[in-house]
Amino acid sequence: MSATVTYIRTYLAQAVIIVGCLAMLIGYFLVSPEAGRVADELNIWNMNVGTFTLFVGIITIFMRYGRSIINRDPNWLFHLYCLVVIALWVPFGTLTGVYSDLYQTLYLNTKITLHITIIGEMIFFCVSAMYRTFRIKSFRTFVLAFLAALMIVFNAPWLTTPFPQVGDAAYWLLNNPQMAAARAMVICGGIGGIILGIRILLGLEKGALRITGG
Amino acid sequence: MTSIELTVVEQIIRAGRTFQLTFMVIMGILAFLAYRLAKRGREWKIKPLEAIEMLTEGVGRAAEMGRPILYLPGISGLSSAQTMAGLTVFGEVCQKAAEIGVTTHLVTSGTDVVAACEAIVRQVYTTIGKPELYQPGKYVKWYGADQFVYAIGAAGHILLDKPAFVVQCGYFLSDVIVAGETASRVGAMQVGGTADQSGLPLMGICCDSLLIGEEIYAASASITGDKLATATLAGEDWVKAILLLLMIVGVLAWAAGSKDIWSLMGM
Repeated sequence: MSATVTYIRTYLAQAVIIVGCLAMLIGYFLVSPEAGRVADELNIWNMNVGTFTLFVGIITIFMRYGRSIINRDPNWLFHLYCLVVIALWVPFGTLTGVYSDLYQTLYLNTKITLHITIIGEMIFFCVSAMYRTFRIKSFRTFVLAFLAALMIVFNAPWLTTPFPQVGDAAYWLLNNPQMAAARAMVICGGIGGIILGIRILLGLEKGALRITGG
Repeated sequence: MTSIELTVVEQIIRAGRTFQLTFMVIMGILAFLAYRLAKRGREWKIKPLEAIEMLTEGVGRAAEMGRPILYLPGISGLSSAQTMAGLTVFGEVCQKAAEIGVTTHLVTSGTDVVAACEAIVRQVYTTIGKPELYQPGKYVKWYGADQFVYAIGAAGHILLDKPAFVVQCGYFLSDVIVAGETASRVGAMQVGGTADQSGLPLMGICCDSLLIGEEIYAASASITGDKLATATLAGEDWVKAILLLLMIVGVLAWAAGSKDIWSLMGM
């Protein structure tokens, strides 16, 4: 890889990230209309780049699935179906508008129907997971199963009426240990995220920076 | 005089954000200080996490069984810090696997993640000196952008491919149970990691080991054992110690009837 390309992919990308971070931070923390305008502009660019990556994704999918169809790879028919559907929906949505009655009717009768079917399948996964949860093998799994059972009872009104203590216990669990643990997770997660950002900016995080690494 | 100084500060820093800014600067300084100390030869030891050790174990298991690894970075795009953390772990797992001839597949829901992961995989094979093994579209799969379309796609992939090791690290919601349960049925070892509170309990049911909350951000540094990256984790622990101290002092002060810490935080 030539030095110029390496320079663009590594150092220029890092420079853009640093400038972007600084502009966003200044806009958020300091009273500066100029910085605010820069931050707003960067947000618009962020949306533009996001939209562009959608095109990159679609091009990638077309290239990959196209190759799969030509080579008659396993499941190539599904890939063909996917490409045909994308090829039909994009011009259709562009021409009629995504809020047109025709588009909405087709959308609701295809995508939403399939979506509901998938969510319906979740029941089987939930039952399977529940079996796993209630298979008590150690003290830890006993605690998990007991608390899960408590929360199930809490969510069933016909059981909380004769056993109101369950509701009190569930509320105590949600408002005390759960709340404390959740807040600890959020606070530490925030710190961890910022430190990860610092590592990325320092070039220490090799995993993600392989994207820009020469 | 104090009121004039406050007015000057308020003119520069947005109201209620002084503490946040100060704390972020302190955080940056501490992380950089730990990094500089490590550069001068100071070594930091971190307690090994079970899930991190299982990542290495899982790669070995896949090699022994002659089956691939599946990596799931979740349902969010590159704008999510959790996805970025997931990708840093993906880079390390992919490299460890590629070095011993194990294939790592990745199923994602974000089209931007597809492009980034393709770049990561290509770079991994270039790094280990086998660029000819990289084929676009062979390792990174996209079945749909919708949460459950992605989950069902991942489940279908698991049933077809029967991976020996499944890693779910990133932002997940209830979709985690679809891929997780399917992976259990094919007997895959599973490691999960997320900072999302609604996805974590479901992961706890399916996975053999978990990276909880901030552990996903520290995972890649722990896997590589890189001294400089590990040093920033020490800086992170200093920050947490300061916060803990502040919380204890704040609670005691509140109990004593003082709202100074509360006001200091701009609440």
